[in-house]
Amino acid sequence: MIAKLILKRLLVSVFILLAVSVVVFAATLLLPGDPARAILGQQATEERIAALQAELNLDRSPVERYFLWLGGLFVGNFGTSSATGGPVTDLLGERITASLVLMLCAALIAVPVGLAIGIFSALHRGKRADQAVTWGTLTLAALPEFVIGIALVTLFATSVFRILPAVTMSPPGQQVWEIPTQLILPTLTLALVVIPYIIRMMRATMAEVMDSGFVEMARLKGVPERRVILRHAVPHAIGPVAQVVAIQLAWLAGGVVVVEYLFRYPGIGQALIDAVTYRDVQVVQAISIIIAAVYVVVNLLADIVGILANPKLRSAS
Amino acid sequence: MSDRSTGGRWLQQPLARRQILTGAVAFGSVGVLSACSGPAAFEVNTDAPPSSGGTLRVGLTGGSTADTLDAHIPVNTGDSARVINLFEPLLERDGDYQIAYRLAESLEPNDDGTVWTLRLRENLKFSDGSDLTAEDVVFTFERVTDPEDPKTNASNLADFQSATAVDERTVEIQLTAPSAVLDDALAQYSMGVVPRDFDPANPIGAGPFRLKDFSAGMSTTLERNPHYWDSEPYLDEVQILNFNDTDALINALLSSQVDCVGQIPLALVEVLESDERMAVLNSETGMWLPFTMRVDVEPFNDVRVRQAFRLVVDRQQMIDQVLSGYGQLGNDMYSPFDPSYPDLDQRTQNIQQAKNLLAQAGHPDGITVELVTAPIQSGVVEAAQVFAQQASEAGITVNIRRVDTTTFFGDQYLQWSFAQSFWYTRNFIPQSRNCATAEAPFNETAWVNQEFTDLLDQAQAELDEARRTELIHQAQQMLYDDGGYIIWGFANQVDAYQRYVLGFQENSTGLPLNAYGFRSVWLGEVS
Amino acid sequence: MSTSDLKPSADAGPPPSGTTDAEPKESATRPAHLLKRVWAQGQGKVGIVLTVFIVALALAGPLLAPVLTGYSPTEFAGRPFQPEGIFGTDNLGRSVASRFLAGGLLLLLYSVLATVLGLVVGCVVGMIAGYAGGKTDSVLMRLNDIVLAFPQLVLALLAIVVLGPEGWVLVTVIGLTHAPRIARVARAATLGVVNEDYVRAAQMYAVPRSRILAREIFPNITGPLSVEAGLRLTYSIGAIASLSFLGLGMQPPTADWGLMINENRIALSIQPWGVLLPVIAIAVLTVGTNLLADAIARATASTTVESS
Repeated sequence: MIAKLILKRLLVSVFILLAVSVVVFAATLLLPGDPARAILGQQATEERIAALQAELNLDRSPVERYFLWLGGLFVGNFGTSSATGGPVTDLLGERITASLVLMLCAALIAVPVGLAIGIFSALHRGKRADQAVTWGTLTLAALPEFVIGIALVTLFATSVFRILPAVTMSPPGQQVWEIPTQLILPTLTLALVVIPYIIRMMRATMAEVMDSGFVEMARLKGVPERRVILRHAVPHAIGPVAQVVAIQLAWLAGGVVVVEYLFRYPGIGQALIDAVTYRDVQVVQAISIIIAAVYVVVNLLADIVGILANPKLRSAS
Repeated sequence: MSDRSTGGRWLQQPLARRQILTGAVAFGSVGVLSACSGPAAFEVNTDAPPSSGGTLRVGLTGGSTADTLDAHIPVNTGDSARVINLFEPLLERDGDYQIAYRLAESLEPNDDGTVWTLRLRENLKFSDGSDLTAEDVVFTFERVTDPEDPKTNASNLADFQSATAVDERTVEIQLTAPSAVLDDALAQYSMGVVPRDFDPANPIGAGPFRLKDFSAGMSTTLERNPHYWDSEPYLDEVQILNFNDTDALINALLSSQVDCVGQIPLALVEVLESDERMAVLNSETGMWLPFTMRVDVEPFNDVRVRQAFRLVVDRQQMIDQVLSGYGQLGNDMYSPFDPSYPDLDQRTQNIQQAKNLLAQAGHPDGITVELVTAPIQSGVVEAAQVFAQQASEAGITVNIRRVDTTTFFGDQYLQWSFAQSFWYTRNFIPQSRNCATAEAPFNETAWVNQEFTDLLDQAQAELDEARRTELIHQAQQMLYDDGGYIIWGFANQVDAYQRYVLGFQENSTGLPLNAYGFRSVWLGEVS
Repeated sequence: MSTSDLKPSADAGPPPSGTTDAEPKESATRPAHLLKRVWAQGQGKVGIVLTVFIVALALAGPLLAPVLTGYSPTEFAGRPFQPEGIFGTDNLGRSVASRFLAGGLLLLLYSVLATVLGLVVGCVVGMIAGYAGGKTDSVLMRLNDIVLAFPQLVLALLAIVVLGPEGWVLVTVIGLTHAPRIARVARAATLGVVNEDYVRAAQMYAVPRSRILAREIFPNITGPLSVEAGLRLTYSIGAIASLSFLGLGMQPPTADWGLMINENRIALSIQPWGVLLPVIAIAVLTVGTNLLADAIARATASTTVESS
């Protein structure tokens, strides 16, 4: 039962990824202009353009090109950047690592903090602290990420306290994380964007669990309250919350775009904005596919967690 | 010697995407400048004689994996900085835009300007200690003008026929047509002399520094060349660091990760000046950001419309708003550093006259035009907005259509009926050959006038300076009355450096940091 | 397929007090009635006040700008980034105050249009899927999943690369990325009422399908849809302002809050107003609409409780 559900879910994901790749590829076909000419520049001779067109398979039919491109994706060949004239992979290698570092840092902060506040809020339901949390999450959840980011920059980098760097420096040859202070503000921004959703989900689930029969039963048996919460309530709440957490982490893949741009963080989000600005289609395609893939895969994992954690399904199998 | 040109490297090979990226990065990526308040002010002894030693860390924007060490095809800022310091040219443009002899000690034309004789200095050596002779100069000429693979400066050497080594120190250069401006073509920084067996992977040159370490798109380390012909550089090493945007660059300067940076946004000059630790190098240059009206399409095919458009511009306001005041007034004429720059009446804003001209041209109720702009250089998109505002006073509605740089230089480039452009410092004749004749590769205004071209040809062949100036002035008058450019000003080049760096001087070529003149820089003593 | 959004959306997190569960069985959410219920809540009150304040500012601002500041939004008041005037000058020396006043209208207009587009498309797709069921349902929902597989912003950027940063592109792409999310809510709500007696009755009298959808089903799912409208408006404002902030939305010389931030952030440390004013306005607006959406959710939820 569970295996069948997961398999079905897997197939759906594969289908969606293929459809996504078609959409992304179709974007190139809609573009006016010739990528070969864009790479070589205005002064290129006809011979060189023809040669490059052949090299880039531009002389083939769109369907053939799509499958060549798709095949390339599987072996890590994302095409040629029209801005640099070099392979897209060269451009993205280090940036992917940098983005992953940022996302990881944000997740490591957001998840425990979000869960802790959510539990706290659920245990103090209706009290002033809980109301404050509710207002806070509603407010934070409404704010676009650049608003949160600029607020942090104003507070900690430029106007009030001048203690943290406002932009990422990354001197050549050094990795961004070698200057850890510059990671603080972008990490904090991302964390603040996802935390409210984790809090709200954790609070709601926890509140439900606390009201349930087995918690009541444990209490009646005289189990200490602390033990009731940690041993009985929290484990039951984690299942559904895990799914939401996974979705939030998937969101980070797209959310880094604005945050990286704001902090000049040299990751794929910044690269995507640059590529859009210069209309470097191959790079836009590559990054869109990467982000969509992360998104689909993490969502898949979230659903699998959800299926596994669903007590109805568990008992059915 | 009169006609001069330099600096405008992008237009010799202008549309390589990498260059567009470089130009645009300087503009497009300005973000938050964090005002780090630095450590307490310090004193630098500026009176002490220059001292030797130390490493200068230079921050520049641009740079990618395609960065080159080739002496003759520099593209972005980092390439230029490397080429200028690794390779020595025969002549150069000095800080005042005058021609100065470097490896050459003389360059003389014959009576009709078709054969030039170049004489090298004595005892010249490359950085590996081998001798630099006339044969190497001949090789350099041939490498640059190779018809199979022409290098950046080939376009300035279109009249070049052949070069022969007469003896160890003498080279004879034959031209296909008389030219009085060969010295200008040789004073390009992409014309460094290289040895006969030149290999870009091992860039041996005769410049003040030699290569120690190079990582494309990241950093370059140069060390002092002990065989340099001129006085030895003070610095032991120069480290060139590539930053991917202006914010990161300026923050690196403020946090003392670099000692100097090339090209800062003009709006930030005051902020940096107010920092006690920083000094600003503010150089007047001949760089211009014109509006381009295509004279062969409606409505600009009527000269009265073109004149009206030139009259709606408040040039001082343009400089104030777009360049934060860091610029010089323009008068619809390029090449302000050319000795033959004319003394024409300064055009000023005259809304009433502009309206009258438009009415005469059949637009009594005003006119609507589309202005195509793109962030091709710092200030271009801003200038479009200021123009739209100024033109509205004369009943001209300017719809700004902002496109990306790739689209701007795409299939439609040179076809936009009303757009913008940017050019670095050049002299009048080479500039006109690039943008104002039928053969010009980048004639953005489509303005072609046979009489004008004839005057250019005559001037180029005229060895008598006074007569040549006279011919150029005639040509300039035609451009001033009839042309399709609106040239409202010339932008300053502003760099910043820590006060303990000494020896930087203003430079009008438009190249940052005294045209990357690190050979005359030293690190002062901090007390 | 799980959800995906430009922002982690409410359907990713817990619905504000049971949004998606709120399936009013009868049309008990008349506008006046609803407004009263919203106003009765603290959050609703604050939400309405904040939203109305910024909307009024955005609507009246363009008219007031020249009167209050002495400069039109494109006129020059001095050199760039100088402290002249109330809030100083921007990157081109224009009055920050004037541009701020004039900068909210288009953002608001585009956001509302995008939300309306999303609601219309989402509603139609969701109701058809929910009502028809079977193959139609699964095909429509699979298509939905494909759109949902892109983070909203990435899809918007892809569209901008191909079509350019035009106003209609922004509205269309943001609207269409909302549609699948709204469609899920509309579908769920439709499923909740499709077996009700009045729908059955209409079917028996052979009322045309389109008429059933419009007359019988739609009025009964307005509760959850109005919550969606509030949420999607919040995200539309965020998305369009974000794109302008990235330099890929509104184009100069338009006075626009998102674009102002992009233009002036270089001088945040010396002339912060050019950035802070629009940031504050966007923050207040989005917080206002979000509080409002949450209050509507509570109001419709309690309506359901009452009427069931």
